[in-house]
Amino acid sequence: MTAPHAASLDLTLAGRPSARALAGIALAAWPEHEKFLLRSFGQRSPAVLDASETVSAAILKLIAGEEARFGEDYRWTCDRLREEEIFFHREGRYRLSTFAEAHAEVYSNDVYMGRYMRGLLLTQALWFNHAATTEMFLARVLGAMEGPFDYLEVGPGHGLMTAFAAASPLCRSLEAWDVSATSLEETRAALKKLGAAKPVALVRTDILRAEPAQRRFDLVVISEVLEHLEAPGEALRFLRSALSERGRIFVNVPINSPSPDHLALFSSREDVVALVEGAGYRIDRIELYATQGRPVETALAQKISVSAAVVGRPE
Amino acid sequence: MSREVILGDIREIMADVFDMDVDDVVVTPDTTADDIEEWDSLSHIRLIVAVERRFKVKFTNAEIERLRRVGDLVALVEAKQPA
Ligand SMILES: C[S@@+](CC[C@H](N)C(=O)[O-])C[C@H]1O[C@@H](n2cnc3c(N)ncnc32)[C@H](O)[C@@H]1O
Repeated sequence: MTAPHAASLDLTLAGRPSARALAGIALAAWPEHEKFLLRSFGQRSPAVLDASETVSAAILKLIAGEEARFGEDYRWTCDRLREEEIFFHREGRYRLSTFAEAHAEVYSNDVYMGRYMRGLLLTQALWFNHAATTEMFLARVLGAMEGPFDYLEVGPGHGLMTAFAAASPLCRSLEAWDVSATSLEETRAALKKLGAAKPVALVRTDILRAEPAQRRFDLVVISEVLEHLEAPGEALRFLRSALSERGRIFVNVPINSPSPDHLALFSSREDVVALVEGAGYRIDRIELYATQGRPVETALAQKISVSAAVVGRPE
Repeated sequence: MSREVILGDIREIMADVFDMDVDDVVVTPDTTADDIEEWDSLSHIRLIVAVERRFKVKFTNAEIERLRRVGDLVALVEAKQPA
């Protein structure tokens, strides 16, 4: 059964050598993952495939020399996520609900965190919803900036989005805030490997305890962070005060997406709209992308994970 | 509960989970995920959890991972039924 799938993956990713190489790295550790990858890539538009190639090329730089380990950890991470998914479908909620629990189970465990972070990095290209959201970020967020901008990202993690922002000719300055010293170290190392086009000020801050911002930013990005917080609305309200009058915020938050350290559950598009509007923003644009390119309405009804990406401006 | 009855119920659950017309769900004990386009790793978990609910049984994570053949699912449900 392997041969026809392999041929199709070559076909689907023809002319996208980095994405093909990354898929190969995952498959080397996990041959049975082929059907999943074939569908994941097969559902992508040419624009999303182009973005996937860009992201894959960056990821290959980050994992160079350690490809096999990243492939293994991707598989391991998907196994952990499957366990959370079983719980979620049985109980209708995320397993953990407080930061203290997540800290005890996940954040304080360096070995676990290392594997999890390496695994999640590969999902940025291998998962349909992550690649589609990145395409939106590149084309309709960064690409839509009309003048010079100062950039703030909260929870940059792997640093890919920060690096893409740094590459924008309109980007004037960059700051990245994260609560975790380990994450900031990962971001620092990533920006170096990617040859980030501009310096990035890395600041250790808990977004829920941050001091009033000293300056204003024209583009604030908070991607895959709010679901880790006990009080996501508070974080967004705080960021409202860090946004310039004509600034934009890009919020990426997953719906029905169980993960070992996800605390805040959003179950619908309405939940996400209420979160963003309730924090004092007007929504300019909202795009939803379901896992594996499923139709969004079906995915929502079946409680399959959907990424919600929102561009907002101060109300 | 006989194996035939369990199989029949599972077929109905599959139609529901895979969003298919029940008449289009052709299952035998030998049917596997490879035979049904909609049966992928995402719908697998929903299928198993729906089966758990229907038959008031619980599978271990390892069992969920392993189950790929309808006949094995039926046998496991049967084994877990209260006597
Ligand atoms: C899943 S990663 C997101 C990485 C990347 N932004 C993305 O979209 O894939 C979450 C990041 O948020 C950071 N984070 C979690 N809680 C935070 C808090 N209270 N304040 C600031 N950063 C936080 C974590 O350390 C981590 O780097």
